Amino acid sequence: MTITSVRTDVAALARDVVKIYGRGETAVRALDGATLSIPAGRFTAVMGPSGSGKSTLMHAMAGLDTVDEGQVLIGDTDLGRLSERQRTLLRRDHVGFVFQSFNLVPTLTAAENIVLPLTLAGRRADQAWIDEIVAMLGLGDRLRHRPAEMSGGQQQRVAVARALAARPRIVFADEPTGNLDSRAGEALLGFLRHAAHELGQTIVMVTHDANAAAYADQVAHFADGRVAGVTRNEEK
Amino acid sequence: MWHLIIRNTVARRGRLALTLLAVLLGVTFVTGSLVLTDTSQRLLDDQFRTAAAGVDLTVRDAVAFDSAMGVEVERDPLPAEVVDRVRAVPGVAAATPVVRGQGLIGVGGKTIVPAGPSLLLSWEPAPVGPFTLRAGRAPVAEGEVVIDAATARRHRIGLGAEVTVRAERTERLRVVGLAGFGPGEGLPETTVALVTLPAAQRLLALGGNSSEVAVVAADGTDVRRLRSAVSAALGSGYEVSSSRDVAAASAAAAKTQISSLQVMLLALAAAALLVGAFLIANTFSIVVTQRTRELAVLRAAGATGGQVTRSVLGEALLVGLAASAAGTGLGVACAAGLRDLAGVFGMTLPDGGLVVTSRTFVAAFVVGVGVTVLSAFGPARRAAAVAPVEAMRRSSADHLSGRAGWGRTVAGAVLTALGAAGLSIVLAGPGSVVVLGEAAVSTVVGLALLGPAVTPGLVRLLGRPLGVAGVPGRLARESAARSPRRTSATALALAFGLALVSFTTVLGTSIKESTARSYTETITADYVVESARNEMLGGLPVHVYHHVSELPQVAVASRLRYGHWKDGQSVEALTAVDPVTLPRVTSLHMVAGRLDAVAGGGVVLAANVAKERNLKVGDTLAMTFSRTGVQRLPVVGLLRDRDAQALSTGYVISLDTYERNYREDVDASVFVKVAGGVSGADAKKAIERALADAPTAQVRDQAAAVAGRNATIDQVLGLVSVLLMLTVLIALMGITNTLALSIIERTRELGLLRAVGMTGAQMRRMIRGEAALVAALAIVAGVGLGVAFAAGTVTALGRTTETTLTVPVGPLLLVVAVAALAGLLAGLLPARRAARLDVLTAIATS
Repeated sequence: MTITSVRTDVAALARDVVKIYGRGETAVRALDGATLSIPAGRFTAVMGPSGSGKSTLMHAMAGLDTVDEGQVLIGDTDLGRLSERQRTLLRRDHVGFVFQSFNLVPTLTAAENIVLPLTLAGRRADQAWIDEIVAMLGLGDRLRHRPAEMSGGQQQRVAVARALAARPRIVFADEPTGNLDSRAGEALLGFLRHAAHELGQTIVMVTHDANAAAYADQVAHFADGRVAGVTRNEEK
Repeated sequence: MWHLIIRNTVARRGRLALTLLAVLLGVTFVTGSLVLTDTSQRLLDDQFRTAAAGVDLTVRDAVAFDSAMGVEVERDPLPAEVVDRVRAVPGVAAATPVVRGQGLIGVGGKTIVPAGPSLLLSWEPAPVGPFTLRAGRAPVAEGEVVIDAATARRHRIGLGAEVTVRAERTERLRVVGLAGFGPGEGLPETTVALVTLPAAQRLLALGGNSSEVAVVAADGTDVRRLRSAVSAALGSGYEVSSSRDVAAASAAAAKTQISSLQVMLLALAAAALLVGAFLIANTFSIVVTQRTRELAVLRAAGATGGQVTRSVLGEALLVGLAASAAGTGLGVACAAGLRDLAGVFGMTLPDGGLVVTSRTFVAAFVVGVGVTVLSAFGPARRAAAVAPVEAMRRSSADHLSGRAGWGRTVAGAVLTALGAAGLSIVLAGPGSVVVLGEAAVSTVVGLALLGPAVTPGLVRLLGRPLGVAGVPGRLARESAARSPRRTSATALALAFGLALVSFTTVLGTSIKESTARSYTETITADYVVESARNEMLGGLPVHVYHHVSELPQVAVASRLRYGHWKDGQSVEALTAVDPVTLPRVTSLHMVAGRLDAVAGGGVVLAANVAKERNLKVGDTLAMTFSRTGVQRLPVVGLLRDRDAQALSTGYVISLDTYERNYREDVDASVFVKVAGGVSGADAKKAIERALADAPTAQVRDQAAAVAGRNATIDQVLGLVSVLLMLTVLIALMGITNTLALSIIERTRELGLLRAVGMTGAQMRRMIRGEAALVAALAIVAGVGLGVAFAAGTVTALGRTTETTLTVPVGPLLLVVAVAALAGLLAGLLPARRAARLDVLTAIATS
């Protein structure tokens, strides 16, 4: 069953995060005291101009990168206390990803790509759940195809399916529609919102596109390495 | 343009490093081989030239040929009156009789047995004698000897010491002087004893005769005219030669072994370079693929296709030049090591200053640069085909995998089929070794062309077990199958090396096993006495046979001799036997005629020799002997091939016939049957006691005799195997290189895998799996090819000699295990690099 009730607990939290690239005079404070709370079961967009640090924050919250100061939590887990290997396992088991492009392993079929994190973990896929996602994303007739045989929109939908397959605590999407035409992009955004609202999946999307951000429940505005403000979108 | 090429090459030095190393190793091998063999040949030339430096003409007994198979023939001695007749010729300033022979030096009850000859010479001061005193004085009286300084130093023999010299007679002599040879202290692997002429004549039982007469021309005399004059004075029974020609001929004879070594080394170097060529072509092909965008930008900016081709070839040229320069230097440095390696496997080469000729430099650079540029030619042409519009496209490594073209696949299939057909013809019967060689070339070229088409299927088949390792295993299999051209080139390079290793292993083992089988089945003697020195003709002094045959513990002793003869230009060997005693120590099967008929001066042929020459009992065979010229011998019998092989040659004559036609007086083997009622151990002890005055003689049982016969094969096999390892090493570098390059290409994909949760360990396993899979493909193809063609070769050989196929399972499994392990090792470095990829940089790479 899907969870439809409104949940108020926090899926992930970044508190006073500082990330510095380089040293001495050339040092750049990519994150400068960024604080962001991701509500569970919601679709959150992180918006800002390029270079504002939004992707850096996403990488830190997803356990792809470490921070120099501050704290990052996924659920109750403090990422700062994890080793490289533990962060890899956390990503595998509790985080889903959708990147702008090159989301799929070219040698695997769509179906194999979807269950990749599960097979890497040596876990069995919950077939009913997979079927549900596949049906929702309209990928039923594409499962045996390889990425090269699919359109960009189809590839991104397979990436979304993979992100959802392991029922992660949180899905991060980094400009997921950046390479898609507007129709395919709108469809994908619709799927993401549907996943949040109907399946209760927590989703964080990084984008610089205001139209894309409009699909989210709340939008965090990023500037100069910190969150300048959060706005709530009204239900469409 | 060159500016850009150099900048590009330097910028990509990491990716080109292994290519450079592969070319470098190949060039090192070529240079090392050339330097080593040039040095050895120069040293031999110098040696013989020094020996003849002060003499103008040499008078010897006339022979039909000087040397055979690297051994100089022995000539009849010259009577003393020849010296007087030479002296009487106007223009002769001096004519000196010289005696040369073999004499072992003994000191403190121990005999010195060098790997080379033990020379016994009559002392002559310069200019006739080549030796110069380093200490003491010349021998002037009976009982005095001068030995070479090198032997004296090695065995701590000082002036005044007593040594024994063992020739036809044995004498105790006092060392009165130490001599050097040219700039050296002696001759390589040789002992030299110099005594007065009468002492030398007595030790060698020559009476008043001499081995040769050294002639010095009077000042102002034309040597060529003098030669004719001396020749006319002596008649046709004697041979008058310019001493320089004699030296050249002797050097040439001594160099035959080195020439065959050179051919072998260069063939192995060629194999290493061929494997290197695969690696180079692969590297450049990958680099060009990875640079598609960049090349397209160049084209868009106005570069012509020719310029793009030249830019890639220019890079290859730079790599080739750098590798050749480094390889030449390293090769010169390695030449001495190569000599030591050959020494370990029993091939003694003279030691001395290295000779680096300009030819070596030219060969090294032509080979190094040539192989690199030629290998890069295909990729360079492909680079020119990149359309400018590619610059605008988003590049993905996906569509660049290089599927096989139809024409290529068909050509490959046809050539492979032709090769297989050739091999089948040989295996089925009628084909010769030549057919086999053509089939091998056709198969290798065919497989190289066919590779990309069949690789995906083979990889998925062989990679089945990898599925057990979960996703990393499956991904490894799929990425190997994804780039068929790359995978097949990498695997074929290793397969080629492994094919050569398995081929030599199977062929060597088959020959050894066949020799052992025919020997043990034919020779029924209890013991065999043979020389430990492994000389071409055996080298057992005659008295060994006499001592052994007189022992009461010995029922019968029968001896064997070898000799060379010529049939037109080709040199053949024959075996001389005692037809009365031989049947008592062997089990011979005559196909026709009788063995004892050789006593009448005839020859018995091996059955296959008779067939080849179309001869039957009653026909005659014309044989040219060095001493007696052309002799027509009646064919009196045909011997079963296996038995002829046990006697080492396809021609058997009697010892009496041998004595009439040869001056050589050494036995090869003495077969011994122990007398009834005497235990083997007692008989052996008795024989060993009787051999006390023959330090080089060894009593061998059957196993030891077989081992002695196979020693040469073991040596060659050992040296070839060790050197082939270099080829395998280069091929393994190919695996490392290809994987490392494909990791660069797959950065995004690997980053993605890490992002979605593949652990570092899983990633390492995946890359290592891919390396192991390529190695497995190479093992299957290489060992298969090697064994198949070894089987073909054995079959072809089996028609002229008794050879049957023996597949040595143990050694082949060892080859497989080593190759598999090496494949895993080859994957270690790329695997580590892949696991260390920074996830963020990887997914950010465009």
